[in-house]
Amino acid sequence: MTSQTDPQINTPLSAEDQKAKEAYFTASQGQLIWARFKKQRAAMIAASVLLVLILSGIFAPFLSPYDPTIAGKNKDYTNGAPQIPQFCDKNGCSLRPFVHAVERERSMATNFRWVTQVNEDKRVYVHFFVEGWDYKLFGFIPMDTHLFGTKAEGGFVHLFGTDASGKDIFSRTLHAIWTSMQVGTIGVFIAFVLALIIGGVSGYYGGWIDSIIQMITDAVRTVPPIPLFMAVAAFMPPEMTAEARFFYISLILGFIGWPTLARRVRTHLLTERNQEYVLAAQLCGAPAGHVIRRHLLPSFTSYIIVDLVISFPYMVLSETALSFIGLGLKDPVNSLGVMLQNVTSADVLLNYQWYFIPVIFFIALVMAFVFVGDGLRDAADPYSDSHK
Amino acid sequence: MLQFGKFVLTRAVMALITLIIVSLVVFSLMELVPGDCAERYLAFKNTQGSSIQIANELEAERIRLGLDRPFLERWGKWIVGAFQGDFGDSCILRVNIAQLLGDKFWLSLALCLSALLLAYAIAIPVGIIAAASSNAALNNGLRLFSYLGLAMPNFLLALMIMLIGTVYFGETLTGLFSSEYRDAPWSWDKIVDLMKHAWLPIFILGWSATAFALQTVRALMSDEIGKLYVTAAAARGVYGRRLLWRYPARHALGPIVNSLGFDLNRIFNELPVVALILILTDAGYLLLEALARSNDQQLAGAIIFLLTASIVTLNFLTDVLLAVLDPRVRKSILR
Repeated sequence: MTSQTDPQINTPLSAEDQKAKEAYFTASQGQLIWARFKKQRAAMIAASVLLVLILSGIFAPFLSPYDPTIAGKNKDYTNGAPQIPQFCDKNGCSLRPFVHAVERERSMATNFRWVTQVNEDKRVYVHFFVEGWDYKLFGFIPMDTHLFGTKAEGGFVHLFGTDASGKDIFSRTLHAIWTSMQVGTIGVFIAFVLALIIGGVSGYYGGWIDSIIQMITDAVRTVPPIPLFMAVAAFMPPEMTAEARFFYISLILGFIGWPTLARRVRTHLLTERNQEYVLAAQLCGAPAGHVIRRHLLPSFTSYIIVDLVISFPYMVLSETALSFIGLGLKDPVNSLGVMLQNVTSADVLLNYQWYFIPVIFFIALVMAFVFVGDGLRDAADPYSDSHK
Repeated sequence: MLQFGKFVLTRAVMALITLIIVSLVVFSLMELVPGDCAERYLAFKNTQGSSIQIANELEAERIRLGLDRPFLERWGKWIVGAFQGDFGDSCILRVNIAQLLGDKFWLSLALCLSALLLAYAIAIPVGIIAAASSNAALNNGLRLFSYLGLAMPNFLLALMIMLIGTVYFGETLTGLFSSEYRDAPWSWDKIVDLMKHAWLPIFILGWSATAFALQTVRALMSDEIGKLYVTAAAARGVYGRRLLWRYPARHALGPIVNSLGFDLNRIFNELPVVALILILTDAGYLLLEALARSNDQQLAGAIIFLLTASIVTLNFLTDVLLAVLDPRVRKSILR
């Protein structure tokens, strides 16, 4: 690759090569990483998937036709199969996509039980930009317009079907992605700050301070995280509100997630702290905090960013596992873990396969993060050329 | 020999200190849970129908359990007991924890160690071959597998296998024993029965550990394989499998042996969740029970401490093993 010294350095370069070389040498670190990242097809695909997922998370209320909570549920269509909008049926075609209406009926023929039936003669048209339930875009812009929905009285469209209490799985999935990512982001942020402080102090001072901090770090690292999460999460009183629970879970994730990054920061600082620029700063009278913050940590920003991206899926995974065993977020809140909880029965696999749709999104999200993180690591590591 | 003895001793002291810090962390966590053992016990008794004068009884019970003593004293007592294998009584069941756990803990440990063994039995040869070969399809396939191992958490895999197993094959894959052996004393038949059930949890627990180990082995091997001493050995006429195993593999495997403890940590991590799905009657399930349902801090603390102690022990053993193999390690710790 371009970073290797040119073996034909003595031969005159063509103008084009010269330009390429100049661009290479004058590029900022960010540009170099981006240029290398772009060459990895898998990582680029993953990055676009990730972008789509993040955007659909941010715009979840706009994209989802129904309120994902109990309030927006469709009482008449519980455990309903996904409805795929179509253009044609036996009565002819239309330019506007539609689904067939569902009706619940109870009569002699159904043995006096409520049975949901598709009425193939009645169409529910799908309209775009319809007005529906109120929400706040980005948390503060009040809106009630949704990308799609139905205008017919009592008509619903459920792209991914509904669950046992009639909640729209499509809306829930989008909101769940966003919740899980928010929990992960807050967790990663707390872990990040803690890791920088602890690793920074440990690496900068070295000696016995380092030894003691390392002992504690190792002890925290030795305890398997999920049992530890479980132990901490067990403090949460069951009557806690959904919001409080949400922040508590993020806090726990953050407070347990720091050791790996802290160790990496410490190792970097230990090698870096003997450099001359550090000595120069110290001689100028810079206090320790300043040297760590302004001189030492910026010297490997790219590593830290990569580490954050890589540790993100683990946060999401931990949240999911925690919610899955019932210690994390609970049902009115939509997180991926809560959604996964619903697929634990054989009944679901046999009759309601659409419950598994959120699982696909979950795997896609984590995979996208892992691929992007790996691509970034390859792009940011200048020594990765040698073994490819 | 003297140096080696000194190394083992230093390392043992370090392991002990780690254990003590861990026990402090675990014990403080147990203390932080709202409500103490006495309250919980009395609440339990009340549900059984015996009406007790709560206020008086509570004090008496606290004193009987020694809960009125200062924190450090109680921690000291707990840790001394823990090292002798005595964790006191469970808050709710009022059974000695050592008795309650019985062989359940050893069963869990055996499951996890088998999973670890399985992971390495697959990851080491495959990783080495992948690093040595330039076959793009093989390498990309392995890469995808590793990512999938990371992205698809064990509990999801367990869920899928179990659901598919129950629905399409009609077999119950859950549990560790058939019903007739569950409470039977250990016998050959019981072990055979265990084997029939244990392969699934072992496979599931080993799933992401394999993916992870595979990635590490491959990365370490590809670092080593381009080095000069390998080329030199090849020039001397050593080739093929013999070259790989005798030179680069030997160096690449050091860090892997070193990380055994943390791999065990990763497997323990999944234990309670997998136990929940497969309804295993092991320590993982007890832990989940103690934390998620009954809030039995004494039991939960004991299990977490035991899990951690096994990791610390494994870390210690691998370090000693490494020191036997590689004298440089001994120096690194003594400085």
